[in-house]
Amino acid sequence: MRLTALAILAGAALAATAAPATAAWRGYISHPLGFAFAAPGELKVEKGTYGGAVAGARNTVVYRFIDDDIEYKAVVIDVGDKANDAATLLGEAEFLFQENKKVLMDTFGRVDRQYGRKLTVDLPNNAGRTTAAFWFINGRIVSLQATVLPANGDYDTPEMARFVDSITFFTVRADDDAIELPAPPK
Amino acid sequence: MRRWMSATLAGTAMAMAAMPAQAAWKNYVNKEIGLAFMAPGEVKAGVGNFRGNYAGPRQTIVYRSVEDNIEYKVTVISFIQAQAEGATLLGEREYMFQDGKKTLSDTFARVGSGKDAVYGRKMVVELPDNKGRVSGAFYFTRGRLVALEATVPARGNLASPDPGRFLDSIAFAPSGATPGAVELETPKLE
Repeated sequence: MRLTALAILAGAALAATAAPATAAWRGYISHPLGFAFAAPGELKVEKGTYGGAVAGARNTVVYRFIDDDIEYKAVVIDVGDKANDAATLLGEAEFLFQENKKVLMDTFGRVDRQYGRKLTVDLPNNAGRTTAAFWFINGRIVSLQATVLPANGDYDTPEMARFVDSITFFTVRADDDAIELPAPPK
Repeated sequence: MRRWMSATLAGTAMAMAAMPAQAAWKNYVNKEIGLAFMAPGEVKAGVGNFRGNYAGPRQTIVYRSVEDNIEYKVTVISFIQAQAEGATLLGEREYMFQDGKKTLSDTFARVGSGKDAVYGRKMVVELPDNKGRVSGAFYFTRGRLVALEATVPARGNLASPDPGRFLDSIAFAPSGATPGAVELETPKLE
């Protein structure tokens, strides 16, 4: 009996050692942008670019995390000057996301009275798989994107859905200890 | 030989007489709203109602025709005061269209090109209780939600290309209307 218990404990310890180290998930919130989400790993704030025929050329703010060879990104595109074209701007962003990729899922997203879209695509050249959600809120396109890189290889991991489904537009639903997202670098 | 030709001609004439009369497709335009489309049959204008959790209660403008057992309907809902909420208003309308139904297809739709493109969605659903099939296209542009729906009853020709022709005929630029297009009136809303 004691031997069995010891063997189980040793096995569990070995399994824990062999499993990849995954960082704890933390809540993040941006009061100015009006959304909150959760992600693992260390936060990096970057600037990026986005371009669409309707949207034109835009700067973006990217909140980026990498954990266990999965890249998590919250991308914010300010299109406030064209907010009256919200539906088309959002549709264009969704269309560009899946263009020339193999679409595995394309479905409704509904969060906190907002309607958006959730898509999963396989990236070209076996570069991985991305699940993304797109929303339009307060004159901004907000997209959460989780990419399982080939080094991870677990393309069915629930972590992608956990990330994109963590978004909330009601600050009351943010984690109690959510960290305020910093402003982008100048 | 002559007898054989006569029989062939008579057979063709009989077959044509037995076929349902197909009305010509006409181009319709409403310059005030800024849309043009094609439909068969006589298009009549009317007023309807819509209610969504997000949109709230709204009166709608409806253009409707029925031809060969297929109902063609264009519905326009004005949200001039809430244009920045267009993405969610459109999403809600699309969601309600397929809610509780079997979705056969759900794809991107785009009218126009370049910076003037209008993005929306096209969907085909089966109505509950084998009541038929509806093809729908949904757009939000210039403060208006525009829905095109073609309903084929269960006993109708579910493989008819006409619903697709109807959905794909939509244009939001005045140039989308052909010369001689029938001008549609805009019914007054309360």
